[in-house]
Amino acid sequence: MRLIGLALLALAAGLYLGFGTDPLGAVLFRLDPGLLNLVQAMVQRYLLPMLWDSVLLPVLEAPVWVVPLVLGAALTIFGWMRARG
Amino acid sequence: MHILKSRPWNLPDSSATPEALVFGRRKALALGAGMLAATPALAQQATLPPAMRNTRYAPGRAITAEREVTTYNNFYEFGSHKTISAAAQRMPQRPWTVKVEGMVEAPREYDIDDLLRRMPMEERVYRLRCVEAWAMVVPWTGFPLSALLAEVKPLSSARYVVFQTATLPSVMPGLRQSWYPWPYTEGCTIAEAGNELSFMVVGAYGKLLPPQNGGPLRFHQPWKYGFKAGKSLVSIRLTDQRPVSFWEKIQSQEYGFWANVNPAVPHPRWSQAQERMLGTGETVPTLLFNGYGDFVADLYTGLQRERLWA
Repeated sequence: MRLIGLALLALAAGLYLGFGTDPLGAVLFRLDPGLLNLVQAMVQRYLLPMLWDSVLLPVLEAPVWVVPLVLGAALTIFGWMRARG
Repeated sequence: MHILKSRPWNLPDSSATPEALVFGRRKALALGAGMLAATPALAQQATLPPAMRNTRYAPGRAITAEREVTTYNNFYEFGSHKTISAAAQRMPQRPWTVKVEGMVEAPREYDIDDLLRRMPMEERVYRLRCVEAWAMVVPWTGFPLSALLAEVKPLSSARYVVFQTATLPSVMPGLRQSWYPWPYTEGCTIAEAGNELSFMVVGAYGKLLPPQNGGPLRFHQPWKYGFKAGKSLVSIRLTDQRPVSFWEKIQSQEYGFWANVNPAVPHPRWSQAQERMLGTGETVPTLLFNGYGDFVADLYTGLQRERLWA
């Protein structure tokens, strides 16, 4: 678990060096311009419109490295606490 | 013996409204009427100029119920789902101006109510075919785009018309997606713009066009898929450069420049052979040029090498 956490932290650092503060959505859009439109349509039409506006959109608006940083930090700390018993 | 029978109109003195309140209300009403008279734009925004129905464009299908048309909408600035009508009510409709600019002799900026007074209003019942394979029939009120272009006098070098939708971040949550190429733009050739079917829409069902349908001003070319019709327009620009529209920048293989309706050319992810009528749910065959071929087919003579159908 700690290894996965450290790998995610390394990924976050790499994304910061590569993309700076570009939003996650902008990076995904560059990789595949149609992807987010498709995901948004599926979420808003078949699940819940607010799920996109209130949950997923704030994540997509955050810098690209925030998600791996938060997940990596959480897994690293959790793994470290478990190792200590 | 004197018998006093209580009548329904016999009210006790305690029920009487105090004199000050009665005359205060009259004063308030008089003040309100005065303010309305002093601000003509406010007084006029609630009504659509009278418009006779033009029967030249009979749709051959029943008109879709108003409720369906005003509650099932595509307006990407408000979301990707169909129930954006409530959110769209937050978009202010007045004051509203639209610029007609670019390669014209007389560029102008119109106040929407001034535009409504100047243009020759008529009602046209048009079919609308969405690229998502649903369709509706709507009585639009508006004026031919050619009438507007005649006022600004396009230069002979103008070859395309570009329509730009308003960008109002405070009411349009979709604009938070900064990676998309906002503002929403669409375009057509000057020949298509001059076609008699090209219609600037300011009303529907005899009322001002509601915001979710693109109020106060939208465009409509009924032989093309609906995404070509720019909504809530703030700019109409003439240019010699073929525009790359909003959807074309995102998914050009699915949403091209021409986007003429053709049942024989499927969307990459679904067939266009049939369409579902909004309201009734009836499935009917899609028609070439959405059934308007007699009016528009000659626009595309010699353009067979273009991707005319998507």
